[in-house]
Amino acid sequence: MFRRLLVALLFAAPSAFAADNVSALLKAADAFRLPAESVRVETQVELYRNGVLDKERLYTVYVKPGRRSLVLMKSPSEIGQKVLLLADQFWLLMPESQRPLRITASQKLLGEASTGDIASMTWSEDYDGAVVDEIDCPSPPVGLGDIPLPAKPRPCLHLDLAQARSGVTYARVELYLEKTSRAPVKADLYVGSGKRAKEAWYGLKPVDGQLRVMTMVLQDDIQANRRTVIRYRSILPKVAPDEFFNPAALVRNPLTDW
Amino acid sequence: MSPCNAPHGIRLPFILIGLLSAATAGAAEIHGTLTVAPEFLTENPSSPYYAGSPIIDMPRRGSRQDVELKLQEDGFNAQGILRQQVAEGHSPEYHGIANQFYYDGAMASGLGWTVGKKVVSWGVGFGFKPLDVIQRENRRAVNPPPLVGVPLAAIERFGGRDAWTVAWTRPGQGAGESDDRDSAVALHWYRLVDSDDLHGVLRVSHRRQLEAGVGATRIVGDEWSIYGAALYQGRGPMRPGGSYDGDAIKAVAGAQWTGESGTSVLLEAWDDPDAPLASATPRENLLLRVGYDDRDGFKPYLEWLVTPRDRGIVTTVGAVVDGNRQRWTFGIRQFGGGAESAYAQAPQKRLFWLEWRLAAF
Repeated sequence: MFRRLLVALLFAAPSAFAADNVSALLKAADAFRLPAESVRVETQVELYRNGVLDKERLYTVYVKPGRRSLVLMKSPSEIGQKVLLLADQFWLLMPESQRPLRITASQKLLGEASTGDIASMTWSEDYDGAVVDEIDCPSPPVGLGDIPLPAKPRPCLHLDLAQARSGVTYARVELYLEKTSRAPVKADLYVGSGKRAKEAWYGLKPVDGQLRVMTMVLQDDIQANRRTVIRYRSILPKVAPDEFFNPAALVRNPLTDW
Repeated sequence: MSPCNAPHGIRLPFILIGLLSAATAGAAEIHGTLTVAPEFLTENPSSPYYAGSPIIDMPRRGSRQDVELKLQEDGFNAQGILRQQVAEGHSPEYHGIANQFYYDGAMASGLGWTVGKKVVSWGVGFGFKPLDVIQRENRRAVNPPPLVGVPLAAIERFGGRDAWTVAWTRPGQGAGESDDRDSAVALHWYRLVDSDDLHGVLRVSHRRQLEAGVGATRIVGDEWSIYGAALYQGRGPMRPGGSYDGDAIKAVAGAQWTGESGTSVLLEAWDDPDAPLASATPRENLLLRVGYDDRDGFKPYLEWLVTPRDRGIVTTVGAVVDGNRQRWTFGIRQFGGGAESAYAQAPQKRLFWLEWRLAAF
């Protein structure tokens, strides 16, 4: 009888994280990525092919509550390009035409560095799911230099998340959070067809006395020789004016003072 | 390749002085790009419009070389090009072009103004944009050079989900010899309603008198967008001799699908009373475009433009390859279709183009 009770408790343990608790888990994990609701993020993206640096891109991202993000391309080859994300609606501005172009969620996935990977920095607003397992945290593959191997095994919560809203970058996410801190360790990212598109690894560093995700490494499953390293060079609380998040305003606001 | 406007060269030195001053002050964003764009064409001697040398010296080979500088500091923006244009059998030409030179200012939160020369595109559509009443972009040109803006003074208002712009284009210039040289007052209204982008335009000018149009783009699911636009023109296109057709309507409708694989298919139909080339060119057009994005900088595409009335076909195969700072663009366009069609009778048979672009800083 005691053994049966013990087994039942063991199996029940992961599911003890009810839906409310999953939401709290995701909010706790989000806090490692965004220190405030409204921020300006300076991002450096390195694109590797067969382990060799192929391209480098710079982005400035403004994030506001209500799933609003504005991405400004800053590299010489992309200067002037902007992408605006308002919940599940997206616009692209190419400097050649100075015309905000409405794009679909699948077009948001295109390009060398997916805009969704750069602009979407939270899970709690976009995903619902459940804790399906409690396991040792997965270890990054050998050679993933930006994510150090842990000194000793740590327990992780394994969450299976499905999109709660339309227009999210990935339809399903398998997320691994360190059990004690709720810090993100790894995510498997699936597109709408059910195919795993990328494997994401999160690198944390202390900033102002708090651990923050400062590196994200994306191993591409569709093009296996490709790896993307996203470095967050600075994440500062900043409230950009609402008018900057109007699609028609993309043609004029340089945001140099913001 | 479109010819350059010599008068722009008068203004370019001022832009260059501004760019250099700002660069030395270290307070501005400044970027430079080098472009080399050769083109080759094969002639169609059987065309009734073909008039070879010595009647018309149609260069079969040419190339455009641009050094482009862009500057932005606060609301001030400038874009200028120093261009060398070479063509077979001709002496090289050199031009200075002031593409844009304007200031975006703010009067209050959500209320702004613009003065200067600016690219202003309001259109809905891919191959044809009837609502582009200010910036008349030739989207069907192969390898077009950067757009040249229009002198204007404008006021713009931005709300949470709507915006409007009132622009006085080419102020004080009066009637021009073409639509894009004609002074006008124009209004653009934009509103986001659920998942729809709605646009409205109004333009009052000497040549066209009144133009009014509406357009919309709707996103359906994660992969589809559908769009359409129509523009009423109080006077149609000007005919030889200076007379005008009666009122006219331009319209476009299209749909685009983009899959998660990176493949996209676009189908668009339009009716253009200002059809290019010759008066025999049918107004009705169908465009089918199949493209692919490998998410690693390689974007090939295949296009068919069909004029159903005379069964003319223009086939274009091209690709863009993006490197770290370099971009290669290349392709072939072939004119053909039914023997009596305007495109089959065009004096050019094939066009080959290549563009190398280096974002230097």
